[in-house]
Amino acid sequence: MSDTATAHNEEEDSHAGLVVENKKLLMWLFLGSDCMFFGTLISTHLIYRKLYPQSYDPLVVFDLELTSFSTFILLMSSFLMALAVSAMHKGQLKSFRRNVLGVIFFGLIFLSCQVYEFAHFTNEGLTLSTNTFGSTFYLMTGTHGVHVAIGIFWLLCLYFYSHTGKMDAHESAIDVEVAGLYWHFVDIVWIVIFTAVYLIEYIPGF
Amino acid sequence: MPKGPIAEAQLDLFMLTVYVTGFIFIAVGGVYVYVIIKFRERPNDTRPLPTHGHGNPLIEIGLIGASILLLVIIAVPTLQAIWFTHDTPDDPESRMGAWYSGEELAEEEADNPLIIKVIGYQWWWAFEYPQLGITTANEMVIPAGKVVHLELRSVDVIHSFWLPKIAGKVDLIPGRMNSMWIQAGDNFIKWKEKQGLEGAATAGPAIDSPKLREQYATYLEEEIHDYYYGQCAEFCGESHARMLFRATVVDDDEFAEWVADERTGHATPDGKTWDDWYAAYAENPDLLVGDVNEGLKLFMGRAKCATCHVVKGNPRALGVAGPNLTNIGSRMSLAAGWLNHRNEDGSIDVELQYDNFFKWIKETEVVKPGNLMWKANGGGIGELVDEQGELALLTDDEVHLISLYLQSLK
Amino acid sequence: MSHTDTEILPPETTYAGKTLLLKPERSRLGFVRPDHNKSVIIDWITTVDHKKIGLMYGAIALFFLLVGGVEALIIRTQLAIPENDLVSAERYNQLFTMHGTTMIFLAIMPLNAAFFNFLVPLQIGARDVAFPRINSFSLWGFVAGAIVINFGWLLQALEVMGLLEAAGATAGHTDFVPAMGWFGYAPLTHTDFTGAGTDFWIMGLQILGIASLSAAMNFIVTIVNMRAPGMKMMRMPVFTWMTLIVSLLIVFAFPAITVALGQLMFDRCFGTNFFVVAGGGQPILWQHLFWIFGHPEVYILVLPAMGIISETLPAFSKKPLFGYSIVVFSGAVIGFLGFAVWSHHMFTTGLGKVATAAFSLLTMAIAVPTGVKIFNWVGTLWGGRVRFSAPMIFSLGFVWMFMIGGFSGIMHSSAPANAQQQDSYFVIAHFHYIAIGGIFLAVVAGIYFWLPKMIGKMWKGNLSTWVAIFSVVGLNVTFFPMHFLGLLGMPRRTHTYLAGFGWETYNLVCTIGAYILAFGVLLLLIDIVRCFRSGEPAGDDPWDARTLEWATSSPPKVYNFARTPIIAARDALWEHKYGPESRRITYEDDHGHGIHMPSQSWMPFVASAGFIPLGLGVSLMQAGIPYMGYVAIFGLLVISLGIILWAIEGPGGYHLHPDEDAT
Repeated sequence: MSDTATAHNEEEDSHAGLVVENKKLLMWLFLGSDCMFFGTLISTHLIYRKLYPQSYDPLVVFDLELTSFSTFILLMSSFLMALAVSAMHKGQLKSFRRNVLGVIFFGLIFLSCQVYEFAHFTNEGLTLSTNTFGSTFYLMTGTHGVHVAIGIFWLLCLYFYSHTGKMDAHESAIDVEVAGLYWHFVDIVWIVIFTAVYLIEYIPGF
Repeated sequence: MPKGPIAEAQLDLFMLTVYVTGFIFIAVGGVYVYVIIKFRERPNDTRPLPTHGHGNPLIEIGLIGASILLLVIIAVPTLQAIWFTHDTPDDPESRMGAWYSGEELAEEEADNPLIIKVIGYQWWWAFEYPQLGITTANEMVIPAGKVVHLELRSVDVIHSFWLPKIAGKVDLIPGRMNSMWIQAGDNFIKWKEKQGLEGAATAGPAIDSPKLREQYATYLEEEIHDYYYGQCAEFCGESHARMLFRATVVDDDEFAEWVADERTGHATPDGKTWDDWYAAYAENPDLLVGDVNEGLKLFMGRAKCATCHVVKGNPRALGVAGPNLTNIGSRMSLAAGWLNHRNEDGSIDVELQYDNFFKWIKETEVVKPGNLMWKANGGGIGELVDEQGELALLTDDEVHLISLYLQSLK
Repeated sequence: MSHTDTEILPPETTYAGKTLLLKPERSRLGFVRPDHNKSVIIDWITTVDHKKIGLMYGAIALFFLLVGGVEALIIRTQLAIPENDLVSAERYNQLFTMHGTTMIFLAIMPLNAAFFNFLVPLQIGARDVAFPRINSFSLWGFVAGAIVINFGWLLQALEVMGLLEAAGATAGHTDFVPAMGWFGYAPLTHTDFTGAGTDFWIMGLQILGIASLSAAMNFIVTIVNMRAPGMKMMRMPVFTWMTLIVSLLIVFAFPAITVALGQLMFDRCFGTNFFVVAGGGQPILWQHLFWIFGHPEVYILVLPAMGIISETLPAFSKKPLFGYSIVVFSGAVIGFLGFAVWSHHMFTTGLGKVATAAFSLLTMAIAVPTGVKIFNWVGTLWGGRVRFSAPMIFSLGFVWMFMIGGFSGIMHSSAPANAQQQDSYFVIAHFHYIAIGGIFLAVVAGIYFWLPKMIGKMWKGNLSTWVAIFSVVGLNVTFFPMHFLGLLGMPRRTHTYLAGFGWETYNLVCTIGAYILAFGVLLLLIDIVRCFRSGEPAGDDPWDARTLEWATSSPPKVYNFARTPIIAARDALWEHKYGPESRRITYEDDHGHGIHMPSQSWMPFVASAGFIPLGLGVSLMQAGIPYMGYVAIFGLLVISLGIILWAIEGPGGYHLHPDEDAT
């Protein structure tokens, strides 16, 4: 009674047919939940901003050039992520590794910009306790930063795992794809934050 | 029994929901009981299995339609009542200029109804009457049959103002002001309507006569004048259960009297001017004799009451952290409605009042656990120390004297 | 990636009389998976079997039902007479806070989870849930959260004995057990007003939230992806549908409270101003966020109960559910509308006329799909053959009592009337009729219905009748007078009251009722124990029921179905027994493949164990105990390590080849 090499594939048992693969569906559900999560954080920021427009002038500390740069970096990292997923689907491990490394690298740049920004803002007097603006701003962008950091860590794990010889197109494409979904989501959230938190300050009357 | 238009509207709406749901209960419940009995399994049942009906869209739609109809019956009066209970109405007879017979009222206030600022603290109520320049605590006095506008604020946590017989509750939320209006008893027009008098609210000359007014006044006196109970209705911490309040509803004259009384500051116990009294207090306090004087000395001195309480008239009792104690001897309850000494006929049971004062000061931590009078920053009476820094709580004798002093504040 | 261990090692395991030799798997980490462990404790800790997990949820939930019940009895005893001093004000406030929190999060939700876990894979013809290890993680996460929330009792005991005093952020406060009400309104929850008890509450709830979220996602994927062939969505049992809807509600409602709790934690620990008035915060924001979660939460609590009833009523009327599609659809509508009515908990906060009117009307609207369900349940009974078995008695009681609770709900929906009822004993009456008269009776019906399937033993005797009598009588004697208490002006959450308001007699009656109800619960436990100890073998289908789970043995085999069933109709088992040939269940040929079983694992347990130092660390840090921040960080590391190892070890798995016929 020996079991075969494909034994650990969960979908072996026949059933009504997958609507969306298990892991992917799980990630979509998680992202749906995370959507509500970030939505609540961003809404809180927008509501308080509307309530107390005079409480703090973020234009004093905001540096649109830097933030635009980091946003662009994150967008590019998403592009590289898409390439990495595609590479994995085709079983091209080397290409996958290159691209994943690129995502990690760009993600780290983004995080560095965030860290720098936080330090700079704090120096200029915008802290967690600075009325409601500081509270909502830091919690929201900080939570996003933690999501990015978790993503980077995840991708690092995938990168190192790819060297163990246990990854191949058939088995691991879904794992990479799921990581890709997460990364794209984190990126999209940032676009929303960038618009609703940074850009909005530059539009008079909003 | 509701005693005001808002409470009445709320009760009417409630009874409507009772009738509607009662009807549903009997109808659906009746069918339910019938079905259980009629279709129950009998012993040795050899009947064939029931036919497998899967549903009946017609019945479904019919029942859904009926449900919606019943809800509409509730919804329409609900909307009306929301509008009615929310906005303070402009009743000409409720404007201050029309009924207030007390001292000079500022011109701009003549068109406004009586406004009371209700401020919630852990675990007591401040009632300010900005138009009349008075502040009291825990027992408000309002005129019968008039719209009263309340502004609700809190200094610490969320409280809720609930005077059940008169209105529903509205929350006091820190950082924001909520408003509501209350009215004890119907106004003249509504009263006439209920009596079935013609032309009460319709076009045409309003019916009015001294005799009618007298009857109206009698109605207010017999049915509305009362000492109403209220309570905080939003959990606000340890002694939430003991944050009651009272509303005394009186006629216009009594109200003016009460205001005048509140505006008059207290004199010193022995008739001196306050300056003289303080001079004596500083130089030779032993000259100030008598129980009430002794109580006042403690009040200003060792017991440190004046750091947190105002007593109108006394130029150095200016503390704002605690309730205003002006006329506290006239109040019929203490500790936010928790210790009571009111007789059935509305007079004060003096002995009980003394006991309550004594208990409140001596065992304030028991009467209202967690309260600041016991343990305030900078030393409440539960933290009084002597020169050596040792704990030195008020002696029974001291509490006795302070109680007598407070009782004298009438 | 392959398990290349070719030695055949014992242990031998026996399933259905057949001895199977199974290889213990080595995970990708190189450790041996804890499959088929001889130690019972390790077996149950590392299990990923949905049936065992369901039983554990149920047992632990019943324990906390008792805990919450004791808290309630103390509350009622305190209130039996005016100005009682059985417990202090602070203690009372802790008791009602913990009673609510325990009953909702540690009793009802896990009881629901117990049923979801045990039944859903069986009802859809699956072998297990989509992610068995996540299932285990949810269970142990629940246990971790329960420990964190209740840990304060230990500290409170120390405080009472004078051995502990709060320092640091919560200096000056004496509460170590949450005391701010189960919905924790700001700003009472700030460090200005409450002590470390609030921190335990925050951390505990966050942990429970993560556990619930992961379980919910697991069930959605299971129901969407793992149904047996022919088990179309509209052929699924209503209970499974309700599980799906409830899981979606959890996924979309919990984030609101996660954010709110996070914001509160930051206010308390790091000086932010989300709800701090002096810094510009708005306490009402807490209420909005909480109730955006809180209202769907009450539907999360009640929809599974409705699902249970939708199974038992047809089974014991020998008729299909009347209007299956509409019942399913109204469940979905209730779930959806449940997100639109949250501010009916806030009618007294000064929302303004328009908002008040809107929420009032929407709340009335939600009565319609609820009513539809009741009509359909009555319609199910109509024309059927009603058997008064134990599950049926409780199901019938449910319909009756839930109706009463629903009526007081309709009364609340009218905002002006609500202004008198809110925060009074009237509300307490309403939700206890729903929670006890509704949810509890349904859960008991479910226990009486499915316990024989779960443990293979049938109930002995007629104690269930007495359980029903004491429960229903107790419920009504306790809570019906509370409608009047509310109308007489008695506010809720008051540790005592003055005599002379006309409340004394009602309160005494309520207290007596509470003890009657408690006795009913006691009888239930006795009955359950009796069943365990001396119940006769139940057989596969002791009730002549309708749905697929009854097509397995009692208890079901570890692999549920020897061969995958192919479904041809709704009420699959009923059609199989009494329907035409075309609607019978058939079975797939497995081509000698055998059944692939998931391996057991330590990692979910390890990961969720990390929640305990995390939750306790933060709370104790707030209590001023030094170095606790490091304990919290340690907890985070344990969680992370557990998850990483979990990912690396892979799902594992082994094959079983049951050698008997499909059924």
